[in-house]
Amino acid sequence: MARRRLLLTGPSRRSRRGDVVGIALLAVLLVVFPLVATPSVINVGVYALIYGLAALGLSLLMGLAGQVSLGQAGFFAIGAYTQGVLVTRYDFGGLAASVIAVAVTMTAALLVGLPLLRLRGHYLALATLGFGVIVAVLASESDFLGATSGIYGIAKPEMNNRLYNSSTEYFLLLVPVVLIGLLLARNVVESRIGRALGAVNDSEVAAESLGVDTFRLRVQVFVLSAAYASVAGTAFAHWLGVVNPNASNFPLSVKFLLMAVLGGVGTVYGAVVGAFAVEGLDDGLRRLIPELVPGAVGEVQLIGFGILLTAIMIFLPGGLHQLWTTVRRRLAARAGPGDGPSGAEAKAPPDEGPLLAREGRPAPGTPLLEVRGLTKRFGGVTAVDGFDLTVDAGEIVALIGPNGAGKTTAFNMISGPVVPTAGTVTMAGTRVEGRKPHVFARAGATRTFQNLQIFTTATVLGNVMVGRHLRSTSGLLGAALVLPARREERAVEASARELLELLGLGADADRLAVDLPFGRQRLVEIARALALEPDLLLLDEPMAGLSGAERRDLARLLRRLRAGGMAIVLVEHDVEAVLALADRVAVLEDGVRIALGTPDEVRHDPAVVAAYLGVEPEDADAVAVADSGPAGLP
Amino acid sequence: MTDLLQLLFAGLSQGAVYALIAIGFVAIFTVSGVINLAQGEFAALAGLVAISAAGGGMLLPAAAVLAVSTVAIVAVVMERLVIFPVRGMTTLVSLILTLGVSTGLKALMLLIYGPDAKGLEPLFPGAFDLAGVSIRYQELLILAVAGVVALAVYWFYEKTLAGKSLRACAEQPVAARLVGISLSRASLLSFLIAGCVGAIGGVLASPIYFTGWESGLTLGLKGFVAATLGGLVSVRGAVLGGLLLGVLENLTAGYISTGLRDAVAFFLLIVVLVARPSGIFGRHAEARV
Repeated sequence: MARRRLLLTGPSRRSRRGDVVGIALLAVLLVVFPLVATPSVINVGVYALIYGLAALGLSLLMGLAGQVSLGQAGFFAIGAYTQGVLVTRYDFGGLAASVIAVAVTMTAALLVGLPLLRLRGHYLALATLGFGVIVAVLASESDFLGATSGIYGIAKPEMNNRLYNSSTEYFLLLVPVVLIGLLLARNVVESRIGRALGAVNDSEVAAESLGVDTFRLRVQVFVLSAAYASVAGTAFAHWLGVVNPNASNFPLSVKFLLMAVLGGVGTVYGAVVGAFAVEGLDDGLRRLIPELVPGAVGEVQLIGFGILLTAIMIFLPGGLHQLWTTVRRRLAARAGPGDGPSGAEAKAPPDEGPLLAREGRPAPGTPLLEVRGLTKRFGGVTAVDGFDLTVDAGEIVALIGPNGAGKTTAFNMISGPVVPTAGTVTMAGTRVEGRKPHVFARAGATRTFQNLQIFTTATVLGNVMVGRHLRSTSGLLGAALVLPARREERAVEASARELLELLGLGADADRLAVDLPFGRQRLVEIARALALEPDLLLLDEPMAGLSGAERRDLARLLRRLRAGGMAIVLVEHDVEAVLALADRVAVLEDGVRIALGTPDEVRHDPAVVAAYLGVEPEDADAVAVADSGPAGLP
Repeated sequence: MTDLLQLLFAGLSQGAVYALIAIGFVAIFTVSGVINLAQGEFAALAGLVAISAAGGGMLLPAAAVLAVSTVAIVAVVMERLVIFPVRGMTTLVSLILTLGVSTGLKALMLLIYGPDAKGLEPLFPGAFDLAGVSIRYQELLILAVAGVVALAVYWFYEKTLAGKSLRACAEQPVAARLVGISLSRASLLSFLIAGCVGAIGGVLASPIYFTGWESGLTLGLKGFVAATLGGLVSVRGAVLGGLLLGVLENLTAGYISTGLRDAVAFFLLIVVLVARPSGIFGRHAEARV
């Protein structure tokens, strides 16, 4: 089976225009629908629009945050109840009430999300499931909320002396709301936030190393998704005129989930398409099943929901959206072969000048990174033992040592993913040990990975644009409203393209990063890290998988970055390349730093020779003397 | 004082049911990282099968065996049809898949057994008084059977080769495969165990707590909370978590409000996840990147 992906978001396809066309098409369809459909079908359509909004929020949550809520109906109910109470008891206008209802729901979501979104996904799922149950329990226990009979007498909305009381009128009233909801959702998916969360879904550690605060963004998306449910809830309250504890019913949450999954998780319009399909199915099954099974009563349509949900996940995890793209790709393939991507090895210009120098960079020679007594024990094994290192701005420090010496573990502790057992790491005055990688990034440092952590659903350009995360500022709200964010997006793209040219990746910018050969994926990771314009760059085996020419290009690039004032720490197996490049070399063996000095000092250090040749230190003196020179090391 | 004892006892017997369902969560989660949202439905289905068989004149023990075997088959078929074919199972995918199965099972129960909740007749009806505490025989039966089943599961994991191989799959799937343990068989076995313990819990609970097509929702949620209290990876933790939840629920219902009984699980879940994500009986943190 092909690689499964639920997520079709992220900067993988530059489809802004396509989206706009899609939404415009949907708008036309939605306006035509009540003109051609029968009243009972329009009634189904009204519910599809209402529920589609809630499903859209859920789709954003799943697509962007990679988490699922099984209690979307709980937020839907909070919106509906708040609206009902405000309108019937306190004579609020419908619009004012709905603003308050949405605010109340978002606060509730924040309280639920804060403790849970740090944890692995199943906790949010089960806790939201419980949340939905609780909302129903509390509502039916509360006399203020009308106990089991709920709140009734909510009037149909009236605007400009027009009463929206027929299904056609109400449908047309909802169409603009849904379209605005779609547009906002699409803007969020396409934004800096959407890009960052798409990256998190591909590789959480890499995205965080680029400064993405996963937890914060996930909370924001969770609250946003609850807001969608809440808007749906207010529309529901006015349409039905009654809100009772059934609004928080678990089967309703399942229905929202099915709509999102059927349409294609993370695709904005998918949720609305899914909503129409599911509502149609719901209506059909409620009529059909009692005919097939005599005496069947209650929520019999669930049988179809369950089967459909399972079948989609097994056979069509991308939902209807996947079906649609597959069909389109087949048609395109028949129309003619696409233009083959250029794999040309574009040469970087043999320029030797300083690179990425910028205002406010620490002056060369000032201590930037200070590592003191860094220690990691895994059970009884001490992987790194009391590691000390100071890195100054504008120098290249290499970390070498045999396999298993603890180099990568040391890297992981410095940059955040691994919590040290003991010791401190200070980056530009900020203590970062045991903190998440995005703290390290905020302090002005980032890293690449030994086992590549490319964002697989993104293009080369998209990968690098994530690196600009901290160099851009637009938040969720700005992104949703698009206007202020648009100029920044263009600037981010321009600087990302510039960087790609610099690394000779310009021709590959719009290819999927995973389609590139291994060595060039490494360069993409380096470009992505450079996009942050860090003061300190940690490179974990940057030379591995590169050809001889590529290695020379990379070494030249690193020298130019150093000239621009950047500090670089690299772990590398190619000892020759390291000794030629680094200002200082630290050698690790069995987790202990056995040497630190200039390449020349290290080359002749008996302990280092012993570590590399596997001889005892006494004999190593002889070896070092007999075999001095570059060839002395493997 | 008598009230307290009465509530404690009722809480323990109800908690024993949660414990059995929690063991099912743990069995599956440790092997494949899947949270089986159909776990509660296993219990509900078992209860309904037993009720319907007993209603048809079958002897109670036979009806119980029939119920447990039916659910075991359902669990195994579910694993082969729904879990096994999916590669690259993420948390999100597994949740949606098992939710689909859970919803399908719910609807099936509704279609076959109708919308009304029913209770199985107890094997030993009646009750006796002990120090003023009224104790139903069925409650004793629940505690006894749950205790035996929990011990058996514990013994299986600790002492038998098959049990040890399941633990190996949970801890080091690659290494387990290298030494010849089949992950596919381990996953199947874990569903079989989960089906059996869940079904036993469902049959035991039915005479007191009644069973309807929707019972699985709260049973499953509470079983999950119980498993989470124990860190989600420990059979012992799941049992203790179940008993604790049962007791707390009954104390809340007795001293605060009956209506809030179902809210206890949710609040307990939040509190535990905030304070100690590794579970209050868990030993090591679940901090993975």
